[in-house]
Amino acid sequence: MTSSRPLSSYVTLGLALVVWAILPFVVPRHVADLLVFTGIYTIAGLGIGLLLGHCGIVNLAQATFYGIGAYASAYCTVMLHLPALTGFALGAALSMALAWLIGRPILRLTGYFLALGTLALSAIASALFFEWDWLTGGTLGIGGIPKLDLLGFALDRPSRYYFLVWIVAFACMAVAANLVDSRTGLMLRAMRDSSTAAAALSVDLQSLRTRVFVVCALFGSLAGSLFAHHASFVSTQSFTVDRSINFLLIPVIGGATSIPGIVVGALFITFLPEFLSKLGDFHQILFGLALVAVVVLVPDGLMGALGRLRKRRVAAGNGHGG
Amino acid sequence: MTLSLVLQAIFAGVTNGIVYALVGMGLSAIFKGSRVINAMQGEFSVVGAMTTVLLLTKAGWPYPAAIAAGALAGALLGAGLELAFVRHMARKNASEDSFLLLTIGLALTLSAGTLFFVGRDGYLLPPFGEGVLIVLDAVIQFHALWLIAIGIGATLALRAFFHRTSVGLSMMAASIDADGAATTGINVARMRTYTFFLGGLLGALGGILVTPLVAVDYQLGLNLTLKGFAAAVLGGLTNPLGAAVGGLTLGLVESLAIIGISSSYKDVVAFTVLIVIMILMPNGILGRAGRRGG
Amino acid sequence: MSLSSFARLTGAAALVGLSAFAAPTAPASAQTSGDPIKVGAIVSVTGAGAGLGGPERAGLLLAEKEINAKGGINGRPLKIIVEDDASNPDTALSKANDLVFNQKVVALLGPSLTASTVAVGGVTHANKIPQIAFTGIGPAVERERKCLAHVLPPQKLNAQALLEYAKNIKATKIGVLHDAGYGNVVLAELKPMVDKYGVKLVAIEKFEIGATDTTTQAAKVKASQPDAIFIIATSATPFRNIKQIQATQPIVAAIGSSSYDYVNAMGPAADNIVIPEFLVGEDPLPHQKAFVELFKQTYNSTPKNYEAAAYDAANIIAAAIKKVGPDAGGEKLCAAMKTPYSGVLANYDFSADDMTGIPVGSYIYSKLVGGKYTRTPFRVTQ
Repeated sequence: MTSSRPLSSYVTLGLALVVWAILPFVVPRHVADLLVFTGIYTIAGLGIGLLLGHCGIVNLAQATFYGIGAYASAYCTVMLHLPALTGFALGAALSMALAWLIGRPILRLTGYFLALGTLALSAIASALFFEWDWLTGGTLGIGGIPKLDLLGFALDRPSRYYFLVWIVAFACMAVAANLVDSRTGLMLRAMRDSSTAAAALSVDLQSLRTRVFVVCALFGSLAGSLFAHHASFVSTQSFTVDRSINFLLIPVIGGATSIPGIVVGALFITFLPEFLSKLGDFHQILFGLALVAVVVLVPDGLMGALGRLRKRRVAAGNGHGG
Repeated sequence: MTLSLVLQAIFAGVTNGIVYALVGMGLSAIFKGSRVINAMQGEFSVVGAMTTVLLLTKAGWPYPAAIAAGALAGALLGAGLELAFVRHMARKNASEDSFLLLTIGLALTLSAGTLFFVGRDGYLLPPFGEGVLIVLDAVIQFHALWLIAIGIGATLALRAFFHRTSVGLSMMAASIDADGAATTGINVARMRTYTFFLGGLLGALGGILVTPLVAVDYQLGLNLTLKGFAAAVLGGLTNPLGAAVGGLTLGLVESLAIIGISSSYKDVVAFTVLIVIMILMPNGILGRAGRRGG
Repeated sequence: MSLSSFARLTGAAALVGLSAFAAPTAPASAQTSGDPIKVGAIVSVTGAGAGLGGPERAGLLLAEKEINAKGGINGRPLKIIVEDDASNPDTALSKANDLVFNQKVVALLGPSLTASTVAVGGVTHANKIPQIAFTGIGPAVERERKCLAHVLPPQKLNAQALLEYAKNIKATKIGVLHDAGYGNVVLAELKPMVDKYGVKLVAIEKFEIGATDTTTQAAKVKASQPDAIFIIATSATPFRNIKQIQATQPIVAAIGSSSYDYVNAMGPAADNIVIPEFLVGEDPLPHQKAFVELFKQTYNSTPKNYEAAAYDAANIIAAAIKKVGPDAGGEKLCAAMKTPYSGVLANYDFSADDMTGIPVGSYIYSKLVGGKYTRTPFRVTQ
């Protein structure tokens, strides 16, 4: 994020905004549906990206908070007949509390131990979602979650829900950007690159990491609640360890240190399987190969590649000027 | 709870534990030699087992030859993937996350490929030694005893390999300090290929050994990888002996949780114990010695 | 191999795949003409549900072929557009949106898994598209969806079928070994009925989906000394383990365990297991013989429940479309679908409360003997 922006940059931004606004109305309905999922996954992936890109932490527990948000929304609206906002709030509160409680012991671990710790958390949560079927409905799930109502507009189709999801996504991106650019962000990156140096500067690593972990959990919960109101149905299959792994792919594919990269990653995991499934029974093989291709050809993520391309063009422009 | 039930739980726990240990050892060996977390370790097991199954049933090969071919298939797959992808990425100084993404992508590809080419069926292999051993009403398959023996043998052999043979020592050296190793004339890149060959071999062996007990199908890989990862991390991640101990610990905790608490909460208990162990023993189960390599 | 050549190879492979597999699924027969009538289908061809989706797709395509060979629907060919949800309810939802709004199908068949069915049902119900799912009716919300029918029995009926057999062999103490997903659902229906059948569940042991070993749980079940053991799972593992620890009790399995894939994986344990289901290809009931023969001729393999269920669903919707015409609209089509139908799998009545209408007398009880399915003479008399 540079401090001075040329006019062309504002024009591009404006154009992008216009495209964003009309997109759901010009694409076929199921594409709008996928764009909604992209937004939801962007929110979930933002947190993972923060932890990965700026703290060097592999977080495989996001499905837990995604699930808590989703089930909170489902339970509050379907079983307790409370307004949707309570579901969002309850999910967020529970997720942040859990993240804080579990985060403090687990975040003391480092490297792959920490990754396994988060993986274990995801597995425990998944097992409990299955076991506590009086709360979650188990594999049968909870259905009939109502669509949301915003200012009198019923958000009952993808082209309308799209706006709510993406506005929340932009808000989360702003929070994430703030965290990244601030002094906190500097400290995080210092900690990631050299924990001994950071410790020498008496940076309170533990509480920093916990704070980011809690923010990540909040994003996960918001994404889950939005998901519940979109699909109108939640069940245990959507919150397994597989889902956590899927969320991890988002920042890695797109480029963990850039926020637009998260959007690219979310687009990738939403649209590519859909596109590939038209090619026949071996589409899953192609998806795996696509992941491999991305990581082999562009190891610092798709946004990283874009950045390098831009730098090369600038350099070329400077070199061959005139 | 009877003594018989406890004994049965111990039998099951040790058997499963050795399976996790074999997968974990391969993961550990690969990490030790290349600092890559191999998310497709379980798939090596599936490929090795499936190769043996197909050669035995479709091509009519004798069982020992099929086993050797299956183990070799896993080893060659590992080495091949290293040559095709890892080497290229290492030269570009790719980050650890990138390697993880690579192995996740390959794992998805292999699993989907197994479904596509072999189908949905599960397959069993003939056990080594028919029959069961019954102690106090608790049953253990003879094949499980073979599995445990071979598993222990493999662990000891691996340890000896890394500490006594020049190739093993070179592999360790190359991973601990690549530049230093290079100055002593060790071909670091080739050592990494050997590492993946070894990891693939161990994975395939584990798969072949476990298939008479657990039918191999396209979904088995991920399951084994997760358990093997847990075993390896518990053991300190760079110590294959530690992975063996980690695997046994995991297997026993699981089965004892079933009889001690309840089968409904087995996963919850086992993973909580895992987290507690990691917090209390930050260097892995074998402690500092484990970290160094045993 | 250099990276560029590898990239080229991958691209070429993708193109080959595209050309080979993007071909239409079934050509219209020479006797039909005009625009095809489009019916959508979502099944799990890949992922954990592949054991269901693969057979279902086979049944659908067989029905489509047969219907078109006999002149289609009032002369127009039937086209079943089959999509794969990869065993993922989110994907199923996307596919449903595509089929309903993009392809404008008149009806939807499938999905294979309950979670997907409930997810897709939101779309079909809101847009009045009749749907016939390859699952038993699930959570309460499905009872409100009066145009979402099911060709497989509700789990309550599956549970009842197990208990009927226990009654038949005079077993009063039952040990249950079940998985966390499917097993939990059936168990929930089983528990309230035990008093009525005078049985006691002396052991209930659970294992996780995809478990590689269930020996300890099986041992606990055996230790409770039941008269019979119910195994409710979608995996061969518990069957192997229960035999490995040498439990001698008769084993009754739920229909979800019944497929050739699982039997293969059970190995020598596929013996002395009774399963309440609907179709034994090796010994079909008289009204099932034609279907079994046709399937064997076309695919060179023996069909079981899921192939037959999908075949029935396709035929039911085709008959309904034939009755009211393809442009009649969702509500009329839905009403036409709701008449009693004698299918290959079972007798249906979609006007029933559970949107299925299968009576417990429709079950046949197969028995695995030495790895082969046989049909026992037992039927539930009502």
